[in-house]
Amino acid sequence: MADQITESRTVKLKINGVEYTVPATWSLIQACHNHGITVPHYCYHEDLSVAGNCRMCLVRVAGMPKPVIACGTPVNEGMEVDTLSPEVEQERQSMMEFLLINHPLDCPECDQAGECRLQDYSYEYGRDHGRFQEEKVVRRKSTLGPHVKYWGSRCIVCTRCVRFTDEVSGTGELAVANRGDHSEIVVFPGQPLDNPLSMNTVDVCPVGALVSSDFLYRSRVWNMNSRESICASCAIGCNTRVDSDKQNLIKRVKPRRNNAVNKEWMCDFGRLDFEYVTTEHRLNLCRTRESANAAWRELPWNAAFKTIAGRIFAPDTVYLISYWNTTELYESLASELSQVSGARVAGFGKAQIEDQVFPGFTISGDKNPNRAGFDELFGNAAVAPADLARGGGRIKNLVIVSNVPDSAAIAAELRPVLDLADQISVFDFYESDFVKHPGTTVAAATLTHFEKSGSFVNRQGLRQHFKAAIEPASFGRSVTEIIDRVRELRVPAR
Amino acid sequence: MDSPQPFEPVLTRHIHEPDSWTLKHYEARDGYRQARAALSRSPEDIVKVVLDSGLRGRGGAGFPTGRKWTFLAKGTGKPAYLVVNGDESEPGTFKDRYLIECDPHQLLEGMIIASYAIGSNHAFCYLRGEFFLGYDRLKAALDEIRAKNYIGKNIFGSGYDLNITLVRGAGAYICGEETGMLSSIEGNRGYPKVKPPFPAVSGLFGAPTIVNNVETICNLPHIVRHGADWYKQWGTEKSPGFKIFSVSGHVNKPGNYEVPLGTPLMTMIEDYAGGVRGGKQIKAVIPGGSSTPLLTGGRIRQANLDYESISELGSFLGSGGITVLDEDTDMVDALWNLMRFYHHESCGQCTPCREGTGWLEKIIERVFAGGAQGADLDLVLEITNNMRGRTICALADAAAMPAASYITEFRPEFEARSKTYVAAADITEGQAIHG
Repeated sequence: MADQITESRTVKLKINGVEYTVPATWSLIQACHNHGITVPHYCYHEDLSVAGNCRMCLVRVAGMPKPVIACGTPVNEGMEVDTLSPEVEQERQSMMEFLLINHPLDCPECDQAGECRLQDYSYEYGRDHGRFQEEKVVRRKSTLGPHVKYWGSRCIVCTRCVRFTDEVSGTGELAVANRGDHSEIVVFPGQPLDNPLSMNTVDVCPVGALVSSDFLYRSRVWNMNSRESICASCAIGCNTRVDSDKQNLIKRVKPRRNNAVNKEWMCDFGRLDFEYVTTEHRLNLCRTRESANAAWRELPWNAAFKTIAGRIFAPDTVYLISYWNTTELYESLASELSQVSGARVAGFGKAQIEDQVFPGFTISGDKNPNRAGFDELFGNAAVAPADLARGGGRIKNLVIVSNVPDSAAIAAELRPVLDLADQISVFDFYESDFVKHPGTTVAAATLTHFEKSGSFVNRQGLRQHFKAAIEPASFGRSVTEIIDRVRELRVPAR
Repeated sequence: MDSPQPFEPVLTRHIHEPDSWTLKHYEARDGYRQARAALSRSPEDIVKVVLDSGLRGRGGAGFPTGRKWTFLAKGTGKPAYLVVNGDESEPGTFKDRYLIECDPHQLLEGMIIASYAIGSNHAFCYLRGEFFLGYDRLKAALDEIRAKNYIGKNIFGSGYDLNITLVRGAGAYICGEETGMLSSIEGNRGYPKVKPPFPAVSGLFGAPTIVNNVETICNLPHIVRHGADWYKQWGTEKSPGFKIFSVSGHVNKPGNYEVPLGTPLMTMIEDYAGGVRGGKQIKAVIPGGSSTPLLTGGRIRQANLDYESISELGSFLGSGGITVLDEDTDMVDALWNLMRFYHHESCGQCTPCREGTGWLEKIIERVFAGGAQGADLDLVLEITNNMRGRTICALADAAAMPAASYITEFRPEFEARSKTYVAAADITEGQAIHG
């Protein structure tokens, strides 16, 4: 490990008898965690200030009369740290006993059950029976904000949520009220926990005190599949974990740690932006129609590929490609289009707004996941959609690759371009206004980013790969696959 | 205050005189001459005389004041602050209250000297919220010296600037803990802070800060005036000087008594406080505020009022709040009362204290009501062990120490209350739980 350390000043210390070299600025818990030594903790969070209140991370340091908190004790040259002795074990056991005396035994109905630190550490350090015979302190349940509810009695007052609103969102809605074992997390009257990052407080809560109203009672956590993904709701590209149930329905999206991108945070909008996957208007196969007035006819995919082949790479085609597609698709298209004579490409996406900047997090104003990927491949060659309409000249063949959820506003804006087209082919995952446009005669069903693999280039220029988080919710195909199949058709049969 | 000993009170000499709290009265007894003199000397000089005097902090811990001052971080680019702790919240302690109410100028003069010595241009005095009269008098005294430019810009023509701010608490014991007090002054919840960093490095508003008790500060004008050797003529080698003790409980004359350190505890009880009420026997003595372990039996007669003597006997001199309990005292009731206090005052930050203080109170309440069973007393002792030394501040220890002490010292009394007492060794844990 020593060779990975870039900071100039280091110290040597021994943890459980093994010598390690670590940066002098680290705390004991960082030294332990970075060397695979687990120190149980509740209140410590690597992106928040040190509160040192849960006392679960007490360890022993040779020469110190009392146990010290690993989270709040800086490393020192020659320190000898002990995280395994019976004394340390006993201290952890006593902390667990204290934490549980007033904690309700409501795991069977608690949302956190299955991913609860109290449960995990009880398993390791808890007693097999309680010694507390007195009446428990009962604290209220409350609604902190539109997305977050609070179960007072379950709270261990680690103050992670309070520190999050103080330090990361900077909105400061949360506070501790009352003293001692009556301490509880509150919001001030008329000032609910309502900021674009509010649901991170649910993630940082190590117990079932702060829960998400959007996930509450929706699933037991052990009944879900968890897959890693990338959020598509803005150009930050937060790393996520998508939890879905056995019916292939997404139940929740949580941030996944990537210190280079989003640490372990994400915005509420991105977290809840998966309803479009199950919209009733999803396209299922490829459909065609003779004219605006004729009825749609669904084609089996094999037939559809032939139809698409006739449209997609015809000469003098104009391509409207959204910033919601994978870099792989852009690469595939770019290499094909170099062989199409008279091809013109224009990018489109959701409107740019101001960044939302918080002390510890920024939500991009670019609400498209892969504008940077598009620009990499087409940046110089692309024309602005407005320029296409300006001349007023007819467009012989228009191909639209959208995959943008909620694209009504964009479709309205692009309408002048669509109106100039003699024929339109649309690739989209749902019956968008592009599909409904009278000029559209071919519409192929595609997949959302939850259902396919690929990569997005975020606004830092970081190319982040993802795999399908759920099985496709329709019979659609990814555009990359459709192009591959079309390409196969061109290969002369043996 | 009529003292039967030749020692003449220093800090409390004038507190019974009419208008002792006014500037006129204070200046008539050479007030502010010491501050004036101090400002003409170098700060190092003042620190040295305080170091040499051996003055120890009167807030409870007894840390040498001069040494504390030398820990102040230099060259941080931030201002240094002096914060005077006048929260005096330890039950049984009421000495600072009299110093503030009856001789506020002595405190202010001490603050000027201390601020100058540590190089601070802004001092704070944190007053317990319930000190209404104390606040009025200290505020009036501050206004008086501000009008005469004893604080402000270029005081006494020395080129030294000092501002003093009074801050009032809102009635929390924990705000008497030095870092809890700093949080409170900063406008935050009175949560004690994680150490390190210590206040001398990063204290009030993240700046280097020295926290001193009111009585400690009140010593300074006298030490500066008379010198270290004068101060050291009283007290013991390790506990030099004199100190105010607040005597309460079952004595005939409860009150504040200023005596040289090392005075026998019995002298204090018998000669100063007028002996035990009704001629009764002493059952126990709390020597240094409610959080210190009890002294009982022969240890009461052995005890001298200095830091070392009381420590050797297993307790602490603490803040000097002596509470005498006579033979009729119900120790279960007394402990229940204390436990109620600590449960009520735990700030709730650290797990062992937040949960432990409540648990202790509930068990002792049950013992008091006669509903305790089996190994409850052993459980209390185990809980106190699990609380001690594992928290950010000393409140958990302050609750755990007396609980352990009362039960250990008076176990038969507690057992008699627990009707069906069975020694822990005789039963299994499972039985204890289900009664």
